[in-house]
Amino acid sequence: MQNTNTLQTSNRVLVVGGGLGGIRTALDLAEAEKDVILVDKAENIGGLMTQLDRTFPTNNCDLCTLAPNLSESGRQEHISLLSMTTVQGVTGEKGNFTVSLKSAPRYINLDKCTGCGACYEAFPECVRFSPGLDHRAPTCMRYPQAIPQAYSIELDKCQDIEALVKSCPAGAINPDDLGSSGEISCGAIVMSPGASLFDPSGIDYLGYSEHPDVVTSLEYERILSASGPTSGQLLRPSNGEKPKKIAWIQCIGSRGLQKGAAPYCSGACCMFALKEAMVTKERFQEDIETTIFYMDMRTFGKDYELYYQRAKDDFGIRFIHSRPHSVLRQPGAEKLEMSYTTDESSKLITEEYDMVVLSTGFRVGDDVRDLALKLDIELNESNFPVHSGLNQIATSRPGIYVAGTFQGPKDIPETMVQASAAACLAGKDIASPKKSPDDQPLLPPEKHVVGEEPKVGVFICDCGENIGGVIDVEALVERVGKLPHVVVAQAEGHGCSRESMDHIRSTIKEMGINRVVIGGCSPRTHEAKFQDLIRQEGLNKYLLEMANIRDQVTWVHALQPEKAVKKAEELIRMAVGAVIKAQPLVEHSLPINKNVLVVGGGVTGMTSALELAEQGFKVYLAEKSPDLGGIARDLRKTLEGDDIQAFLGSLIEKTMANENIEVITGAIIVDHSGMPGMFTTGMQVGRQMFYRQIEHGVTILATGAMPNRPSEFMLDECKEVVTQIEIQTLIEDQPETVRQWENIVMIQCVGSRTKENPNCSRICCQNAIKNSLRILEINPDARIFVLYRDMRTYGFQEEYYQKAREKGVIFVRYHQDNPPQAISVDDKVEVTFTDIILGKEIVVTADCLCLSTGLVADQDSTEELAMTFKLPRTHDGFFLEDHVKLRPVDLPVPGFFVAGTAHSPKTISESLVQARAVASRAQTLLAKEHINLGATTAKVDSTRCASCLICVRACPFDVPFINADGYSEIDPAKCHGCGICATECPAKAIQLMQFEDDQILSKLEQLFEEVVG
Amino acid sequence: MENFEPVIVAFCCHYCAYTAADMAGSQRLPYPSNVKIIRVPCSGKVDALHITKAFEKGADGVYVAGCLDGDCHFKNGNDKAAKLVTYVQNYLEEIGLEPERLEMVRISAGMGDRFALIATEITEKIRKLGPSPIKTVAA
Repeated sequence: MQNTNTLQTSNRVLVVGGGLGGIRTALDLAEAEKDVILVDKAENIGGLMTQLDRTFPTNNCDLCTLAPNLSESGRQEHISLLSMTTVQGVTGEKGNFTVSLKSAPRYINLDKCTGCGACYEAFPECVRFSPGLDHRAPTCMRYPQAIPQAYSIELDKCQDIEALVKSCPAGAINPDDLGSSGEISCGAIVMSPGASLFDPSGIDYLGYSEHPDVVTSLEYERILSASGPTSGQLLRPSNGEKPKKIAWIQCIGSRGLQKGAAPYCSGACCMFALKEAMVTKERFQEDIETTIFYMDMRTFGKDYELYYQRAKDDFGIRFIHSRPHSVLRQPGAEKLEMSYTTDESSKLITEEYDMVVLSTGFRVGDDVRDLALKLDIELNESNFPVHSGLNQIATSRPGIYVAGTFQGPKDIPETMVQASAAACLAGKDIASPKKSPDDQPLLPPEKHVVGEEPKVGVFICDCGENIGGVIDVEALVERVGKLPHVVVAQAEGHGCSRESMDHIRSTIKEMGINRVVIGGCSPRTHEAKFQDLIRQEGLNKYLLEMANIRDQVTWVHALQPEKAVKKAEELIRMAVGAVIKAQPLVEHSLPINKNVLVVGGGVTGMTSALELAEQGFKVYLAEKSPDLGGIARDLRKTLEGDDIQAFLGSLIEKTMANENIEVITGAIIVDHSGMPGMFTTGMQVGRQMFYRQIEHGVTILATGAMPNRPSEFMLDECKEVVTQIEIQTLIEDQPETVRQWENIVMIQCVGSRTKENPNCSRICCQNAIKNSLRILEINPDARIFVLYRDMRTYGFQEEYYQKAREKGVIFVRYHQDNPPQAISVDDKVEVTFTDIILGKEIVVTADCLCLSTGLVADQDSTEELAMTFKLPRTHDGFFLEDHVKLRPVDLPVPGFFVAGTAHSPKTISESLVQARAVASRAQTLLAKEHINLGATTAKVDSTRCASCLICVRACPFDVPFINADGYSEIDPAKCHGCGICATECPAKAIQLMQFEDDQILSKLEQLFEEVVG
Repeated sequence: MENFEPVIVAFCCHYCAYTAADMAGSQRLPYPSNVKIIRVPCSGKVDALHITKAFEKGADGVYVAGCLDGDCHFKNGNDKAAKLVTYVQNYLEEIGLEPERLEMVRISAGMGDRFALIATEITEKIRKLGPSPIKTVAA
């Protein structure tokens, strides 16, 4: 802990907790040029995610992508990281907090430790390097990308301290380290300490304490992990044999059912179990049987329902709607015996399993609760922070914000969104420090490689199991090492880990390499990182090629390892062929336009606009309809009882009053051009359709979704049939009608989770609960039937579901293939449905049939906008983000962001979190003075140009022109880099840099090297 | 012929088809390893030279994969690519090569499943056509 006593400026944010969320908050703030202190109690940052083998819904490991970002030189200047450090107390108020911190002794000087491992080899007993060998305690796990890249010592376990000190070649061990404590100042605090997991030891009928083959889902994750106790081999803890039958039991410690269970739903466990079962199936195919015992499958996230369907249909995972009665093992028996009943009969079924996985839910840890009390923030009965109104991120104490699983149970994408939103709010409480030009990171001068003999270094990742599990990386390395011009080929483990990156750098230096090939993942995600790496070693960024042997080889050809290895070799050969033709290129940059265009004037768009306007940015808020407010205009109250109209009214007022916001209603976007940092968007405005153009640096899409209105159950034919939005209006405006109702039937998933619209609308289950509870408030004698497929009241919504059941709302499950039937009889609706448990048909004569129709994408408008802005959409018409976990609100086109229901269906408070997250993400761009345009531009060889004008006509952006010398000229600042002119030029006088013809032809030659030669 | 494994070159645009190929990977949707992808910024960057070179070197099939109609990141590069493909198909016919060995396809970034399906279908089609006559002559 260095010099924190002397750093007294409060012009920065303290982030507590270095898990995924804390890292995201810190990075967002740092990229927006704000200073951050990141403290974590653990030896290395990374949090819970470092223990996960894979993460849904992409089923890959993403820590590798996220963690090394922290070490990137450009950001380090804004982030100071204090590991093994805890918060002792906080005084002061928003804008000026004083926080006392205490750091435990590491006994290792971080500045000196190189992470070489010599101390661990000599004294394994007292050096913390436990790769999670005990499957029950997967703590202290060291992962290859650990930051800080350093060990720590447990001095009390050491017998010979002197010898330990001597074992370190770097002289980094300091037995006199007493740790440190001190005070720091900050303007805002973001709490992202994460959650703990429920300990099922106390539930005797599950046998967790007695049977080693009963494990928690996190323990199972460790068993699957390559860095886990069995090196990634799936083996039964009891006898070390491979299991044949595995069962998952959901909702352990959640949804208030067993001893010590929490009242809420943990939200992420259904997807977690699906992922584990899918990964298991993927590895062992027909050899293994996987069964999930569930109460309700809660796959409510974006495209999560499709993931569930894939698990069921493509992977053959078995789903049983039941809570098992007990897990036993008969004396002397090998297998576990599980008894359960199903919906269809009361008969007890007993099955044998080799392993049982308990899906344990999230808890607030005792240490986190104590921390929250020290910070004096109000907690609810489950020890989660109480939030004020619709803002989930704000705590009861101004200036202290919360994100991630401590805010409430959630998965990674939602944690990332909250983390960005917290960065937005905390960043507002402090001023941006002024930047001096000297702050630019120093890079070594570029080496001259033109004319030099190509010396190629090939570095191949195994990416854990992702590549190494399918092909033999060492054998591949040996083969490509023999290619011409390749001076070195080596395996790099996780190439993007700090250790490997350092290794690649030192190899480049030692071997005098002047061109680099990375065999690993997609250039789409990792090219920039490796370009930065070689630039730090003095090589031009464009002397790099990536062979995509993960996303496009091992992930798709996992079942044909021989073919996979052959293709991987071909791709690397092609990359080598192209890189030896590569030339150093110069990048262009232009000043950034700091105005923002927000499309969509609902609650999301207005909130984003306000957050950015309050930070001093000029915002154009374009709304298609004549008024602001969007779908929220039709909504009255949230499940929690917040008054939406009051909130909306004040939001509109604030938006209209803010002088940095120009509201443009009746605006239809018609054209768009430019590039990030300098967009021009044209729109037709108002009744007269006046055309106007707006110049802006970033674009935020908050265009919302539409209430679905399928022609089912006589909707729009029979006046007694209404939607959830309509019944809500009836409840509030015509309570006397509602008071006369005797029977009300609600049908869930109408128009959702069907063949036509396979996704879950997320909001309907809580809507049904909300409206049921409201009906009972004004008409306590009403009988309400909710016919559902899975009740998806995730997180704290579960408590309202519980309340509705207590108040007598009758919930009846139906199967998709046997839906309820409704006919109109006089002024009533006769609803017929099958009660699965009774096995009988039931007829209810309802005064009102209410359909939960959910939200769908506004296909017409998202299609238009996607075409104008060149943005991808999902199958069901929502905008498709760049990366579902790591960049959940960034769109693939740089400078574009998406928030609210234009992303996927969600509640108002969830939309507001995204609204603030995009404001934070936008600031990471707007804080910069210049935007890098890259080097991929077209270049004319004037000696070959015949001034034929073909390029002038071919260019989609009218960039080429014939200059005074009579030759075609292309302004690199205007060129978009498509290469169409290069294709059409008959004299081949134009080349597109980075994609020159000789590079492409060289790839082809290398590919067919063997085939013909 | 039965064990014939065609080599197919797919020129994929960075914004749509290449992203769709990565998407197929992250969804673990298998397709034949015969398809080798060359990334280009836009399908409009694919030159007649690149396509004919691929056939000359021994490709049994080639396809150019761009964005869906109207979705091109560069306005109309995909339409230009489609025109070029038709043009080169005629040329292939003139020199005695089946024009079906070359194809233009359109995929959006989110369509991992469509990418895998097209790769599978084209591989099967080329497998039925047999080895490229150019290769037979060269051998």
